[in-house]
Amino acid sequence: MSNEILEKLADVVVKGKIKEAKPLAEEALAAGIDAKTIIFDSLSKAMAVVGEKYESKQYFLPQVLLAAQTMYQALDVALPKLEVDANAVPGKVVLAVVEGDVHDIGKNIVKAMLTGAGLTIFDLGRDVPVKNIVEKAKAEDAQIVAASTLMTPTLASMKEIERMLAEENLKGKMKTIIGGGATSKEFAAQIGTDGWAYDAVEAVQVVQNLLK
Amino acid sequence: MNGGISTTPKERFIAALKGEKLDRPAVGCVTQSVTVDQMEAVGAFWPEAHSDANQMALLGAAGYEVFGFENARIPFCLTVEAEAFGCTVDLGKVDRTPMVKKHLYAAEDTPVFPEGFLEKGRVKTVIEATKLLKQKYGDKLPIVVGTTGPLTIAGHLVGTENLLLMMITDPEAVHKFIKVAAELEKQYLKALVAAGADVIAMSDPSASTDMLSGEMFDEFAKPYTKIAWEGAEGAIKILHICGDTTILLDHMIDTGADALSIEEKVNPAKAVELVAGRAALVGNMGVVRPLLQGTPEECVQHALEIKAAGFNVVAPGCGLAARVPKANIEAMVKTVKG
Repeated sequence: MSNEILEKLADVVVKGKIKEAKPLAEEALAAGIDAKTIIFDSLSKAMAVVGEKYESKQYFLPQVLLAAQTMYQALDVALPKLEVDANAVPGKVVLAVVEGDVHDIGKNIVKAMLTGAGLTIFDLGRDVPVKNIVEKAKAEDAQIVAASTLMTPTLASMKEIERMLAEENLKGKMKTIIGGGATSKEFAAQIGTDGWAYDAVEAVQVVQNLLK
Repeated sequence: MNGGISTTPKERFIAALKGEKLDRPAVGCVTQSVTVDQMEAVGAFWPEAHSDANQMALLGAAGYEVFGFENARIPFCLTVEAEAFGCTVDLGKVDRTPMVKKHLYAAEDTPVFPEGFLEKGRVKTVIEATKLLKQKYGDKLPIVVGTTGPLTIAGHLVGTENLLLMMITDPEAVHKFIKVAAELEKQYLKALVAAGADVIAMSDPSASTDMLSGEMFDEFAKPYTKIAWEGAEGAIKILHICGDTTILLDHMIDTGADALSIEEKVNPAKAVELVAGRAALVGNMGVVRPLLQGTPEECVQHALEIKAAGFNVVAPGCGLAARVPKANIEAMVKTVKG
């Protein structure tokens, strides 16, 4: 029974049946399935499938965005019931599009995929000054600072993140990952980030590796 | 055209865009073409030049004056149409292009067509700058005016993420927004051609394959691009779309574009093979690499590859970043001109 609900919920997320997600998540909780199982055995798997479909060009952004919205509907129900697990792998990520850029669709997808992977995301939105990103990461004791930009003039901000973290002796303790159209693996290596990802699917793997 | 007979940049550029056989490709920039070096050379600067026709015209010819680009090109952003609709635009800084701060509408709203927009704001600035360029450079340089594709404008109106979601949840509403954008674009193009634009380079980044499938492009972009092109009669039509457009090239040709401007994510030889002379090809030097972050030697290599592949115009594959080093652009131009 519980497996059936979880599979159905995953299917609802993958297909983006947005209105069905909330009642199903509630049904799962009522059936005695704990929130952690809902998140990891259903929502995570669903977002992984969505990622695969995007990679293989079966899905494009509209479908991915809809699946993410659907996942959030279920997550709104499950998250408040999640018991804090003291032994859980830490996974706090501060996420932002850097100042001077408002292109945030990619960032929002990364957020959905990382959330789906069970990480806690502090999303600062778009057009965010570097100072705010580093302050938030410190305040939340985050392990990962993730920044994105689609534009070239704003690449300098990513270098600035590295500089500020180094200045505060946080480099190495907090890991950085960048992404977005204007970035590249070479650029990331050049400015000394800990990771770079081509897209949201790869971002999940890179972040999980950084957390190891 | 014969290599021995001297030709103006304009003759070469136009012939190249028409797909005529030439002794070498044309070289220039049909996407955002201005760098800080050019601003300093001609004494006109962002952000002021975005709303001043004289400064815009000066910068529009700066690529030619400073680097020997074989075309003039204005304006320097993709926010003119959005602003005409009433979106708030941040004009940016000396090295940062303008951006739309906030969208205007919710899905259920009915977008309002901004009557009289040709006489107002930066639409008027671009039209005036086109006239100024035509007066001063009309015989020598093709005047390329960059505009925004209907799908991208619609994204500015209702939010691009919302627009993409609505393609599944509420396609009718998507059509409602793109339709009004296409109508504005058509009227705008007509006014630009009347003002002297020889070439319209319409960029539609939100129609990229990073966003949409080919089928979605055909449903939401193609019909409206065609409507917009109706205004470009008498000019050469370039369609620019970002990202890896390999699977989109046929769809782009189907809009009726004379030339396609594409990014380095498409292999140049593959692009020439796929397009097979059905449209001219413009591009596809990588703007981040090699132009912004690479060396002049890398730029030479890349330009040679594009030239050898058979591109009609060698140009940056997307808008130039304002901080692209002078030496890299010089390397691109010199490699093409020989």
